[in-house]
Amino acid sequence: MFDVTTLAQFFVTGLAMGSVYALVALSFALLYKAVGILNFAVGESVMVPAFIVVILLTVLKLPFLPAYLMIIGVMVVFGAVFQRTVYHPLRGRPFISVLVSTIGASLFLRNTSLLVFGADPRVSPALFPVQSVGFFGVFVPPQYLLIITTLIVLVVFQYWLFEKTLLGKKMQATAQDRDMARLLGIPVDRIILITFIYAAILGGIAGILLSPIFYVTSDMGFMFALKAFASSIAGGLGSIPGAIVGGLFIGVVELFCAAYISATYKDVFAFIILIAVLLLRPQGFFGEKVSEKV
Amino acid sequence: MSLRKGLPVKTLFYLTVAIVLAALPILIRSNYWIGTVNLAIIYSIAVLGLNIILGLTGQLNIAQAAFWGIGAYTAALLNTRLGWPFWATFLVAPPTAAAFGVILGFPTLRLSGRYLAMATIGFGIIINLILNNWKEFTGGVDGIPGIASPVLGPLRFSTNASFYYLALVCLILAALTQVRIKNSRMGRAFRAIKDNELAAELSGVDTFKYRVVAFALCSAYGGLAGQLFAHRTKYVSAETFFIDMSILFICMLMIGGAGSVAGSIVGASLLTFIPEWLRFLQGPWAMAIFGLAIVVIMIFMPTGLAGLVKSLGSKMAVRLGPDAHREPTELPRKASH
Repeated sequence: MFDVTTLAQFFVTGLAMGSVYALVALSFALLYKAVGILNFAVGESVMVPAFIVVILLTVLKLPFLPAYLMIIGVMVVFGAVFQRTVYHPLRGRPFISVLVSTIGASLFLRNTSLLVFGADPRVSPALFPVQSVGFFGVFVPPQYLLIITTLIVLVVFQYWLFEKTLLGKKMQATAQDRDMARLLGIPVDRIILITFIYAAILGGIAGILLSPIFYVTSDMGFMFALKAFASSIAGGLGSIPGAIVGGLFIGVVELFCAAYISATYKDVFAFIILIAVLLLRPQGFFGEKVSEKV
Repeated sequence: MSLRKGLPVKTLFYLTVAIVLAALPILIRSNYWIGTVNLAIIYSIAVLGLNIILGLTGQLNIAQAAFWGIGAYTAALLNTRLGWPFWATFLVAPPTAAAFGVILGFPTLRLSGRYLAMATIGFGIIINLILNNWKEFTGGVDGIPGIASPVLGPLRFSTNASFYYLALVCLILAALTQVRIKNSRMGRAFRAIKDNELAAELSGVDTFKYRVVAFALCSAYGGLAGQLFAHRTKYVSAETFFIDMSILFICMLMIGGAGSVAGSIVGASLLTFIPEWLRFLQGPWAMAIFGLAIVVIMIFMPTGLAGLVKSLGSKMAVRLGPDAHREPTELPRKASH
């Protein structure tokens, strides 16, 4: 049970699940950082594309690449509509109002999906023909490797976007000080819209990556949202590297705890971590100071 | 001015409300709807608790369903295992929930706003998972059946109609207590913390103490609601007390109007009845419309029904002339970031 290959196997599996958490946490953290909202519908931005991709692949029998590209398109619309309806009319109100509004959106999306897609769990066909690939005796499903690779690519992309492009600088400026950004001539509303779209696309990618290995149901989003909360708290609320590290951390710890301590309480560990981090180091691994932005 | 003209109208209003409330089981007749009214009363008590922490003190607690569950399980266990009657669990369940409130309140005192919200989510989930998985103690997924109906002396409250009066008395007591709290030194301390915690601290309010007290009161109300719930349904299971109920309680409060006692009760009642009215639609339809309605209400009624009534009232007052009582409309507070 404790030999190196088993441990390595668990570690990679944990990293893969953690990468998905990291993507969702990243989506959550981006919106927190940009406009200070806690998006309770973040799980639904994973569930909706996961459902649609399953439909595209199994019912319409589209090939993988066009289906995946269509999902990105769908998420652009999703993010824009979400920003215009759920956030924009409430901007400037207390964060609890926006939070309740995202809760309403989450309920709406969850139940609409139940109506449209039905209650049966669905799973999309496997992307890779082989079950698993071996490295030095460690056997890993290729989908897990794809998930981890995608996260790495996205991290690099995001670094490039935020640090090397004008759009990224504008997004950072808007997140730091909206009024100042507006004075400098940055179209703040449009930048916020773009941030929402980007966050939705991240959810879409998580949904695509999950669909072949995870049963897609209308209420799967909630658990992902909760894991994303735990991840972003562990890493530091509003910290981008924190969301990624937090997600990976929760994924790995959860898997090891489930394997060695208790599978029944698997979901508890994420929240024990959450509470422990809040008590011992509320700003998380990478967080800003814990006092609220004034 | 309002003394001469307003008082009889006000008395008349309260009298009508009292008569309607007293005669409600006769007016409604349907056992099912009386049962729904009872549920609305129980939710109202839980939401009143949330009003203390969120409405008055301005701290977000996304774990009220956990406190509600702690109250319900305390009553269920004491009643089924030790045979304690209703009035005994009535005395024990709210303090037990309050003790958990303090346990949550103490370590999270350093946290503010959004961090506190996340901590309470974690707490709620952990409590729920324990209720669900600790088979020997909580019955696991099967829950605890066979909780006795309330008996007080010669009175048995086994029917929905009789339970209604018991629950109504509890609600009235809970509401009156809260009105007292709201207008007391403690209530002013709560509101000072909500408006500006630093300023409150500087003006000599012991913010540490009052935040813990607010947490304890909130969870005590939740515990009372849970105790009533356990004796009403005679059966508890963990899935009832999941985090989505905590979220529903918050929606009830925000729609009724955070900070308002009447708003808490109206919001809780509305959100209990709306899904029932939408029942002719199939389940998911009702919930989808419900979700949409929450977004629309948050957009168009930022201060909830209480705020709407208040601003309508002040508009009316202005129209009635300079003699009428004028109350300032509360503007939506600016976001803190």
